[in-house]
Amino acid sequence: MEDLENLIREIAKKLLSEKKVDLIIGYEQGTLPLHTTPCFVDKAEDVKKLVWNASCDANLSKYVVDRKEKVGVIAKGCDARLIAVCAIEKQFPRENVVIIGIPCLGVVDRKKIETKLGDREVLEAIVEDEQIKVKGEGFELVLQKNDFLCDSCLTCRHRNSPIYDVFVGKKVPEVKGANEFAEVSSLESKSAEERWKHFKEELSKCIRCYACRNVCPLCYCKMCFVDQTMPAWFGKTNDLSDTMIYHIVRAFHVAGRCVDCGACSRACPMDINLRELMKKTEKIMKERYSYEAGVSLKEVPPLGEFKMEDSQEFIK
Amino acid sequence: MKWKVLEKSELPALVAKLTEEYEVFAPVKEKNIVSFERLSSENQAYLDFWNTKKPPKDVFFPQTETLFTYRIAEKDVEIVEIPAAKGKRVLFGVRPCDARSFVLLNKFFSSGEHKDVYYLEKRRNTTIFGLACTSPRSTCFCTSLGGSPFGKDGMDLLLQDINDKYLIETITEKGEELVEKFPSLKDAEKADVERAKKLSEDAETAVKSKVSVKDVSEKLDRMFEDPLWDQIYQKCLGCGICTFLCPTCCCFDILDEETVEGKRVKIWDSCQFSCFTLHGSGHNPRSSGKERMRQRIMHKFNYFVNDFSEIFCVGCGRCVQECPVNLDIREIIGAISARQAE
Amino acid sequence: MNNPYIPNLAAIRKIIIENEAKDIKTFELVFKDPEAMKNFRYKCGQFAEISVFGAGECPIGLASSPMDEDCIQFTVKKVGVVTTALHNCEEGTVIGVRGPYGNGFPLERMEGRNVIIVGGGFAFTTLRSLTKFILHEANRDRFKDLTVIYGARNPGELVYKYDLEAWGKRDDINLNVTIDRAVPGWTGLVGFVPAVLKEVAPSSDNALAIVCGPPIMYKFTMPVINELGFRPEDVFLSFEMKMKCGIGKCGRCNIGNKFVCKDGPVFSYKEFQMMPKEY
Repeated sequence: MEDLENLIREIAKKLLSEKKVDLIIGYEQGTLPLHTTPCFVDKAEDVKKLVWNASCDANLSKYVVDRKEKVGVIAKGCDARLIAVCAIEKQFPRENVVIIGIPCLGVVDRKKIETKLGDREVLEAIVEDEQIKVKGEGFELVLQKNDFLCDSCLTCRHRNSPIYDVFVGKKVPEVKGANEFAEVSSLESKSAEERWKHFKEELSKCIRCYACRNVCPLCYCKMCFVDQTMPAWFGKTNDLSDTMIYHIVRAFHVAGRCVDCGACSRACPMDINLRELMKKTEKIMKERYSYEAGVSLKEVPPLGEFKMEDSQEFIK
Repeated sequence: MKWKVLEKSELPALVAKLTEEYEVFAPVKEKNIVSFERLSSENQAYLDFWNTKKPPKDVFFPQTETLFTYRIAEKDVEIVEIPAAKGKRVLFGVRPCDARSFVLLNKFFSSGEHKDVYYLEKRRNTTIFGLACTSPRSTCFCTSLGGSPFGKDGMDLLLQDINDKYLIETITEKGEELVEKFPSLKDAEKADVERAKKLSEDAETAVKSKVSVKDVSEKLDRMFEDPLWDQIYQKCLGCGICTFLCPTCCCFDILDEETVEGKRVKIWDSCQFSCFTLHGSGHNPRSSGKERMRQRIMHKFNYFVNDFSEIFCVGCGRCVQECPVNLDIREIIGAISARQAE
Repeated sequence: MNNPYIPNLAAIRKIIIENEAKDIKTFELVFKDPEAMKNFRYKCGQFAEISVFGAGECPIGLASSPMDEDCIQFTVKKVGVVTTALHNCEEGTVIGVRGPYGNGFPLERMEGRNVIIVGGGFAFTTLRSLTKFILHEANRDRFKDLTVIYGARNPGELVYKYDLEAWGKRDDINLNVTIDRAVPGWTGLVGFVPAVLKEVAPSSDNALAIVCGPPIMYKFTMPVINELGFRPEDVFLSFEMKMKCGIGKCGRCNIGNKFVCKDGPVFSYKEFQMMPKEY
């Protein structure tokens, strides 16, 4: 991926010096191994801070909404799709954003690495194309990167950003045939009681920190339904039924817009598998409306409009 | 101060006996997450961790707590107070950084004319049984903030792993009272105590992450309008992870639930949330992430220092580990510290 | 240890609709427990947390004078959840009161001096408490000249019209009531509060000024106060902030390291100048 990193820097430098953008939003090295952190570059000479590797997991499309200046954003497939959804939803003037598309072979799931290493802390890590070399106190391991990718990346069908203004490097082949709804189908096959038990167990861990909401680029509402007081829709305590309503309603709010970038599950400090709920809504949108979010700038998400030929079998 | 020896194999029995005499809260592992839970027949204490995911402030300052219940009948109201928890408790397996957080929280909740009885009564009824740190992590910076891996602030007794056995060091009267319930515990040999002291020194040396806080509070006195805030807040998402997982953060909200038979509850709140300071009129003194980030840093490293002469951070490193965008408070303090003194 | 989160119960004895828009009401309360009534000693400028059970709590300044010992009064504008629920209460409804909280106006500093009170809109509520207190026969001669300047958008929005009428008849108060723009039938002053203050031009000699109003009023009134020669330590402002606990524990009402509920809500202009600009 090294040459991609240099290509990003060249593209960023060009866009800034030609004043096509006022700001580049990308990634720079984080303060911890296996971490990168969002980076805001407004001077051409600072582009050397920009990096690109499989720990570039943050969803930069979050930083695009509400900007006055013109921005160039490094956008992986999932990120670019989310920028497209927000553009369709008129959250920013499309011409203010230069989508810098990039081929992504998946981002690393640090929690999977932690599980593998147990108690051992990674003090140094080098993320390469196929391998991740980790070093710590008294150990040195070479891990196969593909064994530690985020779950959402395992079934990704848009490794190349489908929407972009500039593309970094060459496109990579897309993966076909992966059943992205395998987990959802497996849950669907369980009885209602089993599913309810499963979700109760998962969601009882929730501490209502709202990281899932705040990390999601689709959650841009100035006043979230959680915070409304007149009326207050449901409680803000960690009472299980209130917590479940929060997650279920948020899943409905992102239905038809969610692209399964995985940011919500990655951010959750209590390791709740939030993707399961969102993925189910994605499956419904695919089956009912043959719709996939963020691959076209022309299609309005189905829950944002109604067509006469929409299926209505649920109306008896 | 007494030093007792506990054979490693005897720890489960000690914990079991504790549950007979006290209500015990200890680290419990659930899938990959270790957090403090009330011990019962369904779970057991787990001590093989760096630090718990949620800090133990939960035990004295729960995420949700009922202040009182009320019953409305026509125009009249009846309030039913919740009786203070009477039983004695033990909080077992607390790291020194987290125990130090109780010292700071105590100062805050007991200050002024009106004290937070909910926190203080639970704290008063609890014996803190700490667990010394023998392998600090790269994100631990307790030594920069007045703490140490074998630190004793805020604790009543400290369990120390000296490889082939444990030592229990009693620190306060409450700690001695607990140890007296285990008369079979032998006194430690001088060599054992020496070994513990050596391990303590090694652990302190092992805390590699250092944050200079020497003049930070004074520098912050003059930095309210500094351009630094414009730079650092941009990547912050405004979620509550750093504040909720912070051992010292204790902002809360008060809400009523239900109308006819209901309760008034206290819940965790966060200065990072956009509605935290939103007035009924729609005015918000902290309308962007910049003001909210500034508030967090100023509160911890300046306001609290002005009021209580202590920095409101114990260097546990949870915020550094868990921030979804790797916003590192050590970097921010470093940037402030690097400012020229005027 | 006393539990500061438990409200005392009080019944609404009387509700007075204060304005034409009917969204500002004064609630007269009597504590259910006579001991609580006796023990509720407060200073002008303090506030209490009013509970409407099921809706929540909100901080409201005390509008009654501490000299009236048989009840306490709060004047409340309907803006949010709790205030709307309060406005829907009838006489006889029991609500909760926690307090009194806050520091109140610095009466000791006002004694022996001329007092200038400037209030705008519905923020006049604690100033009304202060005016009534000063005018009370047991207190009047402790203070020198009393000048009050109070303005509202229009005559319908003026609160405490019954008090204003009574004060207008007295000779121990220089009362100046103004409305923003002239309307037919209004024979009083016309003009924004800062402009009227400039006209009345009370002397700053041996005087203390108390100013309460919405932020926009502070913005235009403070320059006039400064021009009149008041020293910053002799001018007092009362702040509003989003509050919940009212006792300096929930962490949300601070300006810098001062909690508006505990260290305020009254601050001198000098203190205010030293505070960070976050309000």
